[in-house]
Formats: sequence, structure tokens, C-alpha cells
Amino acid sequence: MDLLFALFCAALCALPAFAQSEHAAASTPDLTGVYQAIPNDTTLTGVRKNQGSPSEIPLLPGAAQQMKDPKEDPLRMCAPVGPFRMMARDQVKFELVPAAGMIVMLFEDLSHGVMRTIHMNRGHLDKMEPLWFGDSVGKWEGDTLVVDTTGFNEKTWLNERGAQHSDALHLVERIRPVLSGRYLEYKVTADDSKVLTKPYTYTRYYEKVKTEITDDVCEDEE
Amino acid sequence: MCRIAPPFIAAVWAASLLTAAAADQPAPPDWTGHYKIANGKDLAGFKPVSPNLNQVVPAHLQPWALTKMEATDGVADDPGAICQPIGIFRYPLLAGEFEWLPGKDKITMIYWEINTAGVRRIYLNRKEHPKTLLPTFNGDSIGHWEGDTLVVDTIGFNDKSWLHTDREPHTEETHLMERIRQVGNGAFIEVQGVVEDRQALTSAYAYSRYYRKQDAEMQENVCNDDIRMWKYWKNEHLRPQIVRSHEVK
Repeated sequence: MDLLFALFCAALCALPAFAQSEHAAASTPDLTGVYQAIPNDTTLTGVRKNQGSPSEIPLLPGAAQQMKDPKEDPLRMCAPVGPFRMMARDQVKFELVPAAGMIVMLFEDLSHGVMRTIHMNRGHLDKMEPLWFGDSVGKWEGDTLVVDTTGFNEKTWLNERGAQHSDALHLVERIRPVLSGRYLEYKVTADDSKVLTKPYTYTRYYEKVKTEITDDVCEDEE
Repeated sequence: MCRIAPPFIAAVWAASLLTAAAADQPAPPDWTGHYKIANGKDLAGFKPVSPNLNQVVPAHLQPWALTKMEATDGVADDPGAICQPIGIFRYPLLAGEFEWLPGKDKITMIYWEINTAGVRRIYLNRKEHPKTLLPTFNGDSIGHWEGDTLVVDTIGFNDKSWLHTDREPHTEETHLMERIRQVGNGAFIEVQGVVEDRQALTSAYAYSRYYRKQDAEMQENVCNDDIRMWKYWKNEHLRPQIVRSHEVK
């Protein structure tokens, strides 16, 4: 009996080490959940706050002269606004759904955000039609999900002021959980050699919320 | 040196037994993938119940609902024509294509026609519908496993959508019950549905559909792909019809 008890104790003491090795083996975080952007005037622990904005993106002189009339904003016509604008929208709310070979991002504002599929099991497609949301491929760098997106069509805008982008738009997003997983840190860098003077980065934080995503139907504003 | 208090040992022992018991239960089936409705030869011998719902549904409508159906303009009053939601009774049963994403607490079905059919979330972590439900196009779905079959109960629909493609109205009383399982050695998802609505139907009707698993990825689809379409619909001549289509019927 004493021997059995000693063996049981030994097994129990080994549990933390076993759990640690399991953790090391599965070091990529589970991002499943619903997230909502924090207000721009909020500062989280560690001086984490939203920085930058699509409206500050540096345009080449030619691109600055070709801004479109804000009255024609796709946003006003219940059309998608593209990931670069969508992720910076006030109080944007989205859900991350990891599945085999992909991570899907679903927006509560379905009309403007729609959905994105981040492919985790392949590189960019060699041939593809330009898309509203581009072709997104992801990989893990430690606890950070790095998403590389190309292949955009030219129907979305870079900001509400009417800044256009070209088919050369390239987004790199770095997404990781912070503050014990209660928030997501999101940094996106946009590059477009035909339109921008230099790559531009903004940062957002999203709080993990317990509410479910609900239907949100866009009513056009015109 | 390891020192463990006896009550803690008992608790851990009990927990380990519970874990073992949970491990004995079969994991719910994983049907992750992209599925598309099967028709004709693609059905591989399966025979859908009520293949022509355009005949079945009107035969079950109450007189007031038939009158409303006749008074509805199939083009101008169709929210789908301007990329507004149309609920889950039309597209999924006629041309449905979706991504099936399983999760611990819910199953997510993303329809290819996402702007109009939207996203369905079948909650596995709730046994009852919320006591107060805001009516929505896709309702509130809760599900549980009975062996290899997912049983889904959906209520909380609004009354803005049609029961099929030809203007068939329904009310907020609509209740959809589904039994969903894999058939054909995993090549298909079979959906058996029963629709009842004491306010709009004389009796419940049943249907089944088969969705074949696809090798290809589900492609992006944006309903109002051509923004000029919106400008077209906003033409002054069409404005009264658009306003009508937005009204609560």
C-alpha cells in the first residue's frame, strides 16, 4: 500500500513537468473568440494603446491628387471596405474561428467586413482573380500570428477621405494575445509602391468579449 | 520532496476518474470542410424529400399567407435583389454552399452567399433558447449530438424572409428542427428539416437536402460586387420599390 502511495505521489509531482512539456509542444495560442476594438483614448497596462490611423497614410503626390469623392465611399453603399480600413473602425467587433488549415475572421458588421479566410496550410496562389479581401496566408512566429495578404482588387479605399490603392497593395498583419489573453494586439503594415511614399503601420487593441456575434444588417445611407 | 495533503489526493483522484470517463465518450464527429448542394447525378442515388419546395410550401400556407404571397412583388419586394439578407430558407435549400467549421461550443456555418444568407451559429453549449430573443433573419440555433446526428432546434426568426424563393411568408412563430448527419462514407452532409409555423402554415412540412464535400476552397463572394449596381437601384424610378422592400411586412 505504501509503495502504491509513493508511486501515486511521484506521478502527481511529475504532473507540472508533463503539463509544461505539453504547453511547449502546443505553444501557438488559441485565438478562438469574439473581440471588440478598445476606444482610441484608452490605455491598457504596459502603455498599450491604439496608434496611427488609415487617415494618416502617406500618399504619393499623384495618388493624393486622385482621391475620390467621400460621397462615393463604398461604406455608404453597404459594400466591403477591405481589411485595412475595417480593422481600424471604431468598436469593430469580429470573431476568430480556427479550423483545420485555416483561421476564419467573421465580422459582426457583415456588409462592410464580411469575412476573411487566413490559409495556414499553403502559400499564395500563383494565379488568382483580384479579390475584395485578397489572398491571406498565415504562419505562427512564437505566439504571433503573421498574416500576409496580396491579390486585392482596386474597389476598396485606404481611408474615408477617398485614398485609393492599387493591385500592388500588400498587407502584413501581426496578431498576438496580450495581457493573459484578455486582449489582442494587432499591427498592420500596408505597402503599395504605386500609391504610398513608404509602408505605413497602425496598431489596434481588441478586448476579448463574452457576447455572441449578432446579425448586423447595413442600411445604405444615401 | 513531495508533500500532498490527503484531501487533495482524493480530489485529484476523483478528477482523474472524471477525465477518464470523459475520454471514454466518443468525440463529436468533425465534418470540417466546404460543402455544396448536390443535384441530379451528383446525388449518387440519394433522394431528397420535397425536392420542389416551390410547390410544397404554398400548399401548406394559411389563406392570409397565400393572399400576402400573391400581393408581394417578386422582384421589387425581394431584399436579395439589393443584397439584403433573405434568411436561411431560400438559398441554402436551393443552391446552398457553405463552410462547416466545428468548435467546442458551437458549429459555424458560413454560406457562400454570405451577404444574403449570412452565417449560422449552432450553439452546443446552451440547452435552451434565451428567454428573450430579438428576432433575426437566421434565428437562434441550439444543437446537441444524438450519436452521429446533430439535432438542431431554431426559433427566433423575424418575419422578413420568405420560406422559399417565391414570396412565401412566415411569422416570428416559425420553428425549424433539423437532423444533420454525414452519409455516403463522409462524402455528403444530409440535412433533414421540419418547418412549422402555427400562424402561417396549416401543418408542418418536411424536406431533406444533400451537400457534397468539395476538394476546392470556398471562394470569396461579395453580393454587390459591382458598386454601380447600387447606383442603378438608387435610380429615382426604383426608389419607391426599394423603400417598400425595406419596410417590415
